[in-house]
Amino acid sequence: MTFAFTMSPSDLLLLLPEILLTSWLCLILIIDFSFPRLPNEQLAYFTIAGLVATLGCLAWFDITGITGTLFANMFALDRMALFFKMFIVGSTILVILASIDYIHRFKFFRGEYYFLIVMSALGMMFMASANDLLSVFVALEFSTIGFYVLVAYLREDMASNEAGIKFFILGIFAAGLLAYGISLVYGETGKLVFSDMKAAQATPGLAIGFLLIFGALGFKIGAVPFHSWIPDTYHGSPTPVTAFLSIAPKAAAFAILLRMFLVALATFKPVWVLLIVAVSILSMTYGNIVAIAQKNMKRLLAYSGIAQIGNVLIGLATGTKMGSDAMLFYLLTYLFANLGAFAIIIAVSEAIGSEEIDDYSGLGRRSPFLAFSMLVFLLSLAGVPPLAGFIGKLYIFVAAMKEGLYALITVGLINIVISLYYYLIVVKKMYITEPRDSSPLKVSGPIKVVLYVCLAGTLTIGIYPQPFTDWVVSAILTFSNLADPTASLPVPSTVIPFGG
Amino acid sequence: MGDYALLYILFAPFAGAIALIFVSNRQAMLVRGIAAGAALVSLLVSLYLFFAYNHMKGGFQFVQRFEWSRQLGISLHLGVDGIGTPLVLASSILLFAGIFVSWHIKDRTKEFYIWLLILAAATIGVFMSLDLFFLFFFYEMSVIPMYLLLGMWGSHTKKYNEMTDPDGLKQRDSVGFIFNFGSNSKEYAAMKLVLFLSAFAIVALMGILLIYKYSGLNTFDILVLREQAKLMNIPVLGTTLDKIIWLLIFFGFASIAPLWPLHSWSPVGHAAAPAATSMLHAGVLMKLGHFSIIRVAFEILPETTRELMPIAAVLCMFSIVYGGFVEFYAKDTKYVIGYSSSSHMGYVFLGMAALDYISLTGAVMYMFAHAMATGMLFAMAGWVYDQTHSRDIPSLGGLSNRMPFISGCFVVACMASIGVPGTVNFIAEVMIIVGSWNKYPFQVIVAVVGIVLTLAYLFKMMRGLFYGPMDQKYSHAHDAVAVADRLPLLIMITVSIGFFFFPMHLYYVVRSGVDPLIAKITRVVPVASQERETLGVKREARADSSPQNLAALPGDVLPLTPYASRSDQ
Repeated sequence: MTFAFTMSPSDLLLLLPEILLTSWLCLILIIDFSFPRLPNEQLAYFTIAGLVATLGCLAWFDITGITGTLFANMFALDRMALFFKMFIVGSTILVILASIDYIHRFKFFRGEYYFLIVMSALGMMFMASANDLLSVFVALEFSTIGFYVLVAYLREDMASNEAGIKFFILGIFAAGLLAYGISLVYGETGKLVFSDMKAAQATPGLAIGFLLIFGALGFKIGAVPFHSWIPDTYHGSPTPVTAFLSIAPKAAAFAILLRMFLVALATFKPVWVLLIVAVSILSMTYGNIVAIAQKNMKRLLAYSGIAQIGNVLIGLATGTKMGSDAMLFYLLTYLFANLGAFAIIIAVSEAIGSEEIDDYSGLGRRSPFLAFSMLVFLLSLAGVPPLAGFIGKLYIFVAAMKEGLYALITVGLINIVISLYYYLIVVKKMYITEPRDSSPLKVSGPIKVVLYVCLAGTLTIGIYPQPFTDWVVSAILTFSNLADPTASLPVPSTVIPFGG
Repeated sequence: MGDYALLYILFAPFAGAIALIFVSNRQAMLVRGIAAGAALVSLLVSLYLFFAYNHMKGGFQFVQRFEWSRQLGISLHLGVDGIGTPLVLASSILLFAGIFVSWHIKDRTKEFYIWLLILAAATIGVFMSLDLFFLFFFYEMSVIPMYLLLGMWGSHTKKYNEMTDPDGLKQRDSVGFIFNFGSNSKEYAAMKLVLFLSAFAIVALMGILLIYKYSGLNTFDILVLREQAKLMNIPVLGTTLDKIIWLLIFFGFASIAPLWPLHSWSPVGHAAAPAATSMLHAGVLMKLGHFSIIRVAFEILPETTRELMPIAAVLCMFSIVYGGFVEFYAKDTKYVIGYSSSSHMGYVFLGMAALDYISLTGAVMYMFAHAMATGMLFAMAGWVYDQTHSRDIPSLGGLSNRMPFISGCFVVACMASIGVPGTVNFIAEVMIIVGSWNKYPFQVIVAVVGIVLTLAYLFKMMRGLFYGPMDQKYSHAHDAVAVADRLPLLIMITVSIGFFFFPMHLYYVVRSGVDPLIAKITRVVPVASQERETLGVKREARADSSPQNLAALPGDVLPLTPYASRSDQ
């Protein structure tokens, strides 16, 4: 392996979004220190401005087709990476908007909160591009360090501290697994870049190595049996952090999983399909059944999130292009529905100071808008037409059906009904149970914006998914060229249609 | 309008629901006005659709096709044939009537109408979908509003052991007591309904996905699948794939119909639902089951239908008799009507199972006729409940003094439900009975017994509600006097009686949809050609119509007499 670090200025262009965000990160910190009296909202809007610029930059790359690889294939900027980066930056913007109301609960370091969120987002952007095991490790840890702090940000709250400790210990453990797995894989193959491993021989060491890596990523996405940190951490963390944690790192980890399984391990598909099928069935069933017993909204969404990840894994289990398209699409629907639901939890807990499901009684009378939005998001998560989740689930099932994964589809379909039950329990509380206190709730502006965006996303994808399916299909298209064994590897430098 | 008729019918209620979001609940008349206006648009265009449908040409008309997802092979493909057209009309009539029936709802009026409009629009959507995906999309979409409608505006049913007989003694209804699990809350009914229907909907979805995979055509389009899908004779699990798919589709959709062992959600749900919801649900949602079976199983798997449809012939007997007996003992008005609906749906299954031109035409006409009859009954049960806050038949009585109009209409509705000559139900029932006699004489006898049962329990209920001594606490009950209150009943009565005297257009429309189906399933040519010739139908028109066109039929075709369409030829 030869490392060719000859970078041209046009190579740097590929890193433009990350460079932009890194400099913005420094600016946030500097501004926070220089103007201690600056209102928090303004810092939030300043952060969002940077993120929007990054998003615009990514969109420009996507539209003009600027792709390529850097650092001897360690960093791949293909359209799948662009999809995930836009996904992550978009969700970060929404999370920061949703945090504006919440931030007064932090006694200290309010400015650093934005810094840490953006830092994690930056790490995840690198994860989306990570094309070899070393960059996977570095990017993954980079993003997780931010979360270690964020999860425990409510310093006076015991639950938040407990969540932080749990997340930290298990996170470190997962990092250890990852490092060990990488060392085993490197020892067996002598390769680090995913696309170089295609010719690898099946050896026990390689199998164990990848299993360990899968364990570490399974921890990130919160699939059973690596889920044990999820409920407590989700419950204890500040709600915007939970929202962030439930979406962005999962998406970023799926980017790595896709590259790992569909590129590096493409030849071993018959073996790993069984693993993914097992994990998927366990996640869906466990998540949904345990969610029935939950009394707290955040825990409910934590368990439902485990089940949703099981659904996404169905797409991975297909191991086909269509399955990967469906995964990306499903994640998109999950982003809007889940983030919207968490935004409502923030709004409700700001108004009534509770996250218990019982306290959602009569929300339909107290705030018809919040209740209706919650209804839409929960039904989208359950997979009810005409909402996004239905199309997402159908896309996944159709992809799985083409591969003949009947058992997986049957379990997935049964789980739709189970999940409908507990989502409807919440709907029942909101609409049917009479409120104890019927004073109307106030919803702040930023939360409203988040809800409008999420509602628009959920309904648009549900009613007219064509642009979104086109997007995910094109995102995986370039990626699959990369996965094609006949394609010339490694791509030496960038191809940029710069200035025409 | 012409070509876009289906779009108007489908999207007018949706547009109304969206418009209602921006109206305040305080402007009650505006809310009702928007809802009624949206429903009126739908109703008028469906009337146009019904009369503009060219039954000489047959087939799918007013077809609209928009590509919706290239990757999944889905298009918004709308079109109605002779089976869908009357059902679309029935849905929009019941929606329009339902808006007026729920005129007096005070609590969250706007939300009620939004969900009612969505429910009706989704139902209409199923009747005009020519794409399996959209059929399922609208089907599932019609289930969820039921949860909110039942939960928010429904009413708790009384516990059976709290119901009283005329002497004031507590009674226990053993059947209901056992099968209701002691829970009578509306939340329970709503949850049971939604979970039950969703659980079976996914069974049907599994069937749909299997069709999609094994057809290998990468499309959900019913018209393409019925021509090109080759699903026969693929061995799976000791049987063939087409049988598995057929059973998944049949039982998946039969749950909403509801066929006998899958019916338990229906009476509970109907009893808890507000009047307009019960009307729509018993009137048209139940027919989604039959319709979807016809549209999916009959169209795409005709051979398998011929083999397996006797299942329906067996189960429909239980539906008819079981429903009939439970009604006879039930004490709750809506429970009686709910069970009567599920019992009557057994006739439709009988008509479908016989796979005969006359009986299937009768079955489809019965769906239309039953929608009107049961709509009236539920509307009036709702009115009586609003006035007396009771649905306990033994404790009511003598209400005809207080509400002469309602009691008069109730007599008509009972007559319609029984199928007395003078209502379109009679024609439909006779057609089902005559059409299935050759194939299933025993079931026909059971069906006739069922009619007698219907007569017995409906008269019993009528007597219990409107005649005999009246409890003085109901002396404040009012009759329906206002136009808005009388309008829905008058509409449904007019339709029910009108189609008795002028049934031929309905018959021809339905027949034009039934003919190609039965010709494909039984490979027996209809005799409609002769019938129509006597009515002066031109030859060219017949030549267009595929069922009469022998060359279009696969295999050897045996022209037979109308009532002897046997499959063993």
